[in-house]
Amino acid sequence: MKRELKLIVNGDTHVVYIDPWKTLTDVLRDDLQLTGTKLGCNSGECGACTVLINGKAVKSCLVLALQAQGKEIITIEGLEGEQGKLHPLQQAFIDHFAVQCGFCTPGMILSAKAFLDKNPNPTEEEVRVALSGNLCRCTGYVKIIEAVLAANEGKGASQ
Amino acid sequence: MTEADIHSTYYSNLPKFEYLEARTVGEACSLLKKYGDRAKIIAGGTDLLVSMKKRNITPWYIINIKNIPDLEYIQYDNEKGLKIGALTALESIESSPMIRERFFIVADAAHQIGSPQIRNWATIGGNLCNAAPSADMALPLIGLGAMVKIEGINGEKVFPIEQFFIGPGINVLETGEILTEIQVPTSSLHTGGAYLKLPSRTSIDIAVVGVAVVLTLNSEHRRVLDARIVLGAVAPIPMRAHKAENIIKGKVIEEQLIVRAAQTAAEEARPISDIRGSAKYRKEMVRVLTNLVIRQAIGSTS
Repeated sequence: MKRELKLIVNGDTHVVYIDPWKTLTDVLRDDLQLTGTKLGCNSGECGACTVLINGKAVKSCLVLALQAQGKEIITIEGLEGEQGKLHPLQQAFIDHFAVQCGFCTPGMILSAKAFLDKNPNPTEEEVRVALSGNLCRCTGYVKIIEAVLAANEGKGASQ
Repeated sequence: MTEADIHSTYYSNLPKFEYLEARTVGEACSLLKKYGDRAKIIAGGTDLLVSMKKRNITPWYIINIKNIPDLEYIQYDNEKGLKIGALTALESIESSPMIRERFFIVADAAHQIGSPQIRNWATIGGNLCNAAPSADMALPLIGLGAMVKIEGINGEKVFPIEQFFIGPGINVLETGEILTEIQVPTSSLHTGGAYLKLPSRTSIDIAVVGVAVVLTLNSEHRRVLDARIVLGAVAPIPMRAHKAENIIKGKVIEEQLIVRAAQTAAEEARPISDIRGSAKYRKEMVRVLTNLVIRQAIGSTS
């Protein structure tokens, strides 16, 4: 039996009717067509499916969609900067060449956002720990860390 | 082959089940009682859903307790000690200033589980109820003499967490019961503890070996008044190394005793060989870690 699910995604309220065994990743991608959230390992290891639930980064492949009933969710589509520009983290990832194939990028950026929102002045080590649940298989961690630190210092915008 | 079939070939989607929402502890207990073995509780679900995707378990009913209010709290009282609601996220435990100050070993163990996203969603109750031989939270809590509160349709009971585990993946909960609270007694000023596991904290892997040590020293910080050495992933359940404890208990700390206690802990361990490590390796690592952790625990008391 399909169940009613209300989600507040990127500020918009959505009501969908879903099978109970759907994960939050499934519903975001298949029902809401928000395909910026990626499904990688499907077992909570890789972090490609990271979204924010009530401001906290979680792996949406390990969240039953119905458990997110009524909660506020931010996906990569929900990030934006001032006046329609990119979010500083997004711009910093571009400026610092922190994107290779791009599959891990939405998860990386959302983990970084949740972390920076809580820790305004992190050390490099703290950034590394904050991103330890996001895997990049293009082996690009150095530039990703640089981008997060730069975004935090307001150097994200194009020169 | 339809598109959906291809999808499920590549990714193991969840098996089908009926979803039930419990709004109170009482409701959760009566749903559990009603559906028995066919039902599983979901809190954070970060272990449960992985097991289901692997088809290790395929429950007919999933009872969600994550949205029950009032089971997510951290309270401290000088007399009553620390109380943690079973639905408290691991992240809340690792970042609680009070737990970091008074029960650092608990915060440290929480920090060593999974990844940040897992710790944001996974709960302390779930980590314990899964009863993994390697359960990170169990070790320091046994070391600190913690108690668990169990609620069921026939009321509630409180008993030492040491008695909570029966075997790999098996706990003492009976049909219709859930774990609702973890209680940690106030420890003395001269109590200290440490927890280490392999692989180290930078990894998100399951522990191959874990060792927690909690010691109480006398006021001169020389004699060991009480000692608990707890080993993880080297027996069907988290186990205490009683003989090793007895070697240092009541004694004045000295090098030889620490070395002997570590050796004894390794002899007491009953590990198996599996994909993560051989029994021989695990025993040796118990010795190495116990040696280190006893020293760290002594260091943390001053």
